Amino acid sequence: MSELRKRGVITAVICSEPFKKLGTAQSRVFGTPNLPLIMIPHPLGGLSIEQVGARAEIAIPQILAVIREQLK
Amino acid sequence: MSGLETFMQAPNATIEVADDFDEINRLFRERGWSDGLPIVPPTAVRVEKMLTYCDRPWHEAICKVGPRYGEATPARIAVSAVMAGAEPRYFPLIMLAIEAMCEKRFNLYGVQATTHNAAPLMIFNGPIAREVGINSGHNAFGPGAQANATIGRAVRLALVNIGGAFPTVGDMCTYGSPAKYTYCAAENEAASPWEPLHVERGYNIDDTTVTVVGAECPHNINDHESITAEGVLQTIAGSMGVAGVNDVYHDVCEPVVLIGIEHAKTIADGGFTKAAVKKFIVDNANLPMKKFSRENIERRLRFWFPGKYENAGPETLVPMIQRPEDLIVVVIGGAGKHSAFIPTFGATLSVTRALKCADGKPARSVEEFGRG
Repeated sequence: MSELRKRGVITAVICSEPFKKLGTAQSRVFGTPNLPLIMIPHPLGGLSIEQVGARAEIAIPQILAVIREQLK
Repeated sequence: MSGLETFMQAPNATIEVADDFDEINRLFRERGWSDGLPIVPPTAVRVEKMLTYCDRPWHEAICKVGPRYGEATPARIAVSAVMAGAEPRYFPLIMLAIEAMCEKRFNLYGVQATTHNAAPLMIFNGPIAREVGINSGHNAFGPGAQANATIGRAVRLALVNIGGAFPTVGDMCTYGSPAKYTYCAAENEAASPWEPLHVERGYNIDDTTVTVVGAECPHNINDHESITAEGVLQTIAGSMGVAGVNDVYHDVCEPVVLIGIEHAKTIADGGFTKAAVKKFIVDNANLPMKKFSRENIERRLRFWFPGKYENAGPETLVPMIQRPEDLIVVVIGGAGKHSAFIPTFGATLSVTRALKCADGKPARSVEEFGRG
């Protein structure tokens, strides 16, 4: 994802709360410290399709904001 | 002139702290540089002494350690080795293990950062493992042997301080593992009735190797009653059929069966080669479908093995391992009728690497590295 961002592609990483520090650290490691993290509730395993949909609902406004920001 | 001078001139390469053991340890713990146990302060003098058993350039990275992808130079690794309490003559083996686990197929990033409780298991073979005293017998994975304790600990400290495997940042393990303090032993080649692991993998008996496996702790297998090869092997295979291991959901995985020396003798006396041992175990290590949850059948087994379980009934046997050649079999331990099953992280493959001098020739003695 960092490589795509370096090439100018609009990018973000979807991340659940306990993994925020890992996501932030990895963004720095790969040279893209401002890589946006789209935060969704934990957990990810064992979700029903409805629960997956609910997380998508939370992610979509953040993704749109990232796109708008990067298109400025 | 100190060979460490270049290293010490790098920004933030050194810190000034009061010459006080407790104060130094408090600082290291606060900064997350420790495993929680007291460390030996890595002074320049101690680090340079550690490097007397290094024949490579001290400041050139031998690999990058994920998830931070920090550059593992001999000088940096030596800092971890000093902190761990390792002897300088262990140092070539510490470097070897770190190089092995940084090979791509091992997936060190995954092993380090996963919520699974994997830790890099190090199994040493060959003459230098014996020369430096890596325990392969009684209590090989327990306390007592300095080499086992400190080689594994040195690697762990390097995984944290070079690789960035800080808890909740680069190491997301749900509940951790005692194997993350040290996980290091040698194969008991003298007591094994079969070819040792490194010979099986194409190395010379006189080569010294490490095999690294992204693994759980050993799960004990007790069998005091079986007196036939088939009996012992059935107990081993029967102990491996469990629904919650990662390996069962991977097409290619390399779990370990550690066979104790008494069990190994019983099995070999029954005429079993190592290849036959693997085949028996893989043929018999399985679990009926009814032991898996409905969700895991649908979302794991049927997803990862498309078509294979579409019409499977509750009694259909699910194999723990797909192919006999994927199973790692080693003989470790002393007297006693115990063996062990060591499941893996699953998304990792083992790596065996031979200890070589800087000129590329296989090392036959650790003293070939000594500059002392």
